[in-house]
Amino acid sequence: MSEEIAIRVRGLESRFGPQVVHRDLDLDVKRGEILGVVGPSGSGKSVLLRQIVGLDRRAAGTVEFPYLEAERREPRLGVMFQDGALFSNLTVLENVEAPLREHTHISPQLRSEIAGLKLGMAGLAPDAFVKQPAQISGGMRKRAAVARALALDPELLFLDEPTAGLDPIAAERFDRMVQELARSLGLTVFLVTHDLDTLYAVCDRVAVLYNRKIAAIGAIEDVTKDAQGWVKEYFSGPRGRAAERAAAAAGG
Amino acid sequence: MAEAAAVFDVTQEDRAAVLALSGDWPVDTIAAAEHGMRELETSLSPGAVIDVSRLGRLDMAGAYLIERTLHRIGGAFSLRGAHANAARLLDIARRATPEKAPPAERLHGWRGLLERIGRAVAAIGEELIESMSFFGQTLATLAGLAMNPRRIRSTSIVHAMEEAGLNALPIVAMLAFFIGLVVAYLGARILGDFGATVFTIDLVAFSMMREFGVLITAILLAGRTCSAFTAEIGAMKMRQEIDAMRTMDIEPMDALVAPRVIAMIVMAPLLTFAATMAGIFGGLLACWADLGISPVMYFSRIVDEIPARHFWVGMVKSPVFALVLTVIACKQGLSVGGDVNSLGRHVTSSVVQAIFMVILLDAAFAIWFLEMDL
Repeated sequence: MSEEIAIRVRGLESRFGPQVVHRDLDLDVKRGEILGVVGPSGSGKSVLLRQIVGLDRRAAGTVEFPYLEAERREPRLGVMFQDGALFSNLTVLENVEAPLREHTHISPQLRSEIAGLKLGMAGLAPDAFVKQPAQISGGMRKRAAVARALALDPELLFLDEPTAGLDPIAAERFDRMVQELARSLGLTVFLVTHDLDTLYAVCDRVAVLYNRKIAAIGAIEDVTKDAQGWVKEYFSGPRGRAAERAAAAAGG
Repeated sequence: MAEAAAVFDVTQEDRAAVLALSGDWPVDTIAAAEHGMRELETSLSPGAVIDVSRLGRLDMAGAYLIERTLHRIGGAFSLRGAHANAARLLDIARRATPEKAPPAERLHGWRGLLERIGRAVAAIGEELIESMSFFGQTLATLAGLAMNPRRIRSTSIVHAMEEAGLNALPIVAMLAFFIGLVVAYLGARILGDFGATVFTIDLVAFSMMREFGVLITAILLAGRTCSAFTAEIGAMKMRQEIDAMRTMDIEPMDALVAPRVIAMIVMAPLLTFAATMAGIFGGLLACWADLGISPVMYFSRIVDEIPARHFWVGMVKSPVFALVLTVIACKQGLSVGGDVNSLGRHVTSSVVQAIFMVILLDAAFAIWFLEMDL
């Protein structure tokens, strides 16, 4: 893996009124890696995602995309929101076509074929394409949302709690799908999660967001080795140990 | 590195045709090449060589376009030249190309039209039956509450009274004031031709008391309050709050519908009274300014010439309107499904049905009162 930086955050400060969410936060995401972001509820993981994507205004600091900027390309981002945020008045296929319709000039035929290809890559069967988002299961909605995020072939993919609300088997399949997509398409993935299994199974590196900053970042073994306080509690609780054992069993 | 247009070139070498790809082939630029690639499907023969050595950026969409062309021509192809990800992406596109999605079921032509008309008529019938049964259910709930007053939720009632009643007072009064003003000017103009300008007072008082006061209030409540009730209840339904209430043994009829109905039945007559008064006041200003009729004369004529039953004829309609309006609003709110579309549809039909019913009922009342000589 190359060591180029895909996302560089420097001195980020975000606040809601008097409440400071992040202060002086620095973060580097390397190109082609899957970075898992963890932290206690309310530590601002989703806010960090929104700041990087540009949905929220930041009080101070910079967010750059050095790798893409070096190639003088507009950073194109794909975002999957927590419950999918599919447009409920469009079918699943039309949802994936929507960004293509806005941003490209390809023919309707090719457009729907490309949308179908993306949905197929995200693991959806063709009979789900013509359904409304309300008619399919939560897991399928999340897959469709990933397909929509990938519609314009972004190099940066942001996932907000991708496995929340899925059963363990569906969550594991989803993890594997994300990993395969990321590897085969060379995506850089910024993944906000609470799911320890996801962290162990998919992520190349883990960033711990605690006390308004990145408290620790690195490969999961390094982060857990000399962990302190909350980080230690998080990874060495019963769930953390179980996830570690599962990952070790799967790896060995 | 700005993006170069997607370009391809076919040359005939001694053994096979060579398709040389150059420029960038991401989703943004492949539109230029799409038409040409389609023509290639017939002109290029199987067994051609794909030269990717001068290919710039490529993404899944571009890879799919190339792969689709190759797939339609059929036969095997060989790749020539080095590229960062062309071989891999082409491979993914080949493996992931899905079967055709089944088309959405839609009927076209005459049969489709007839079917849609039939469905719409059947839906109206169903809606009518559902609304009637909901109306009955509401009345039963109200009767139950009357038998057991401790189940009445006074906090919700007061809240709904403030939201739907008190807060609507300024706009209701203002609208009625202007209607009274307009009626008086019209009357002064037309009755003046017959030298009967003094009857303008009768016209204003008569129309405001019997019809306009109550009708303006009801239509305004339909637009302002029905939509709010439907949206509130519908959003709760969408977020499964109604289901949560049911699991806790809280009846939505008791907790959501009854307080709103009671609040509206109480507030609508008060609003109607305010509207009637505001309209008569508007008429007073017009008469005073245009006809020189003094306020004292205006009021004494109303007291002497207009029997009080006209006032009561108007007032008695308002709780009936309020009941019907609120029942329609709550019924539509509870019928909302899981998606945003159905919320919009039900808010619309709530307001449309409410206004329709108000005018229909008002006509029925008018005929009835006329036949009763009231």
